Amino acid sequence: MGNIFGRKRRSRVTEQDKAVLQLKQQRDKLKQYQKKITLQLQRERELAKQLLHNGKKEKAKLLLKKKRYQEQLLEKTDNQISNLEKMVEDIEFAQIEMKVIEGLKIGNDCLKKMHEVMSIEEVERIMDETQEGIEYQRQIDEILAGSLTAEDEEAILEELEAITQEDVELPEVPTEALPETTPEKEAVKNKPKPQLVAAS
Amino acid sequence: MGFEWPWQYNFPPFYTLQPNVDTRQKQLSAWTSLVLSFCRHNKFYTMNVMEIQESPLFNNKKIQRKLPLESVQVVLEELRKKGNLEWLDKNKTRFLIMWRRPDEWGKVIYLWVSKNGMTNSVFTLYELINGDETEGEEFHGLDESMLLKSLETLQLEHKAEIFTLNDSKGVKFF
Repeated sequence: MGNIFGRKRRSRVTEQDKAVLQLKQQRDKLKQYQKKITLQLQRERELAKQLLHNGKKEKAKLLLKKKRYQEQLLEKTDNQISNLEKMVEDIEFAQIEMKVIEGLKIGNDCLKKMHEVMSIEEVERIMDETQEGIEYQRQIDEILAGSLTAEDEEAILEELEAITQEDVELPEVPTEALPETTPEKEAVKNKPKPQLVAAS
Repeated sequence: MGFEWPWQYNFPPFYTLQPNVDTRQKQLSAWTSLVLSFCRHNKFYTMNVMEIQESPLFNNKKIQRKLPLESVQVVLEELRKKGNLEWLDKNKTRFLIMWRRPDEWGKVIYLWVSKNGMTNSVFTLYELINGDETEGEEFHGLDESMLLKSLETLQLEHKAEIFTLNDSKGVKFF
């Protein structure tokens, strides 16, 4: 992976870049031309002034005529420059658009390839199998749960109710007597809590 | 001009090369840094020896001292050894003074390019140096050979590519 070889093999300058450069070169030339003319205009104005001072009105008039003509030229070159610049921008934008399309194309190909891997039948089959798996798991759950429900579910419900009731009573606890709670275990567990709340 | 001269500038012995090796070395390094800061202040890029000898740089009218031509050559040769100067002809009369090395210029230019989102764009050398967009940038008005050198350093770093069309050069930044 020699650097020099990498660069020599393919230049990163495209045909479009060359076209842009050419347009810009042209623009530079026009700009130089403009600079020349503006300088000339200034000089001629001074000269015309001087001629007027010396009483050479006709000559001054002629000079001003020439100046006017050059001003028109200047305007024309302005237009040409803006044309060139527009062209440059168009090319640059077209290049960007090309890149965008390239990107979209790659994305599209990639999507297609991935879709080839996951055909609809395959997805359906997988989904069906998953469904079956879930069903199977549920059956297992039921069997396992069935052996426990009788006593435990009731106990759970009871505990749940106890907790919810306590939660409702919580705000009143500090004012009234404490030991009025139902099961002994929970009473012991919950006692510290209301005290803490009240203290803070 | 607003250029601040170092104290040595008004010190007459500064204008005679010292025989003692150590002193001479110090003197030369003071001269070279003076030359560089003077050229940077005035944005000089290419000069010829006569011109620079007559300029206030080597010619202090206030104390009536002037560095002789041979000593000027020694100072310039010292600058060349340091890589800040390059002779433009065989007779050593014209030279390119590089108070900022090409790779440093390259960095300045590339910074401007990337700051303005101009990577992937093509430029003519003329527009980099004289264009309206670079007005006020440090490299505006840079000497073309200097610009080319700095772009070449960017090219080595794969940040730019110089190409020629119709005898004039252009550059594309990446």
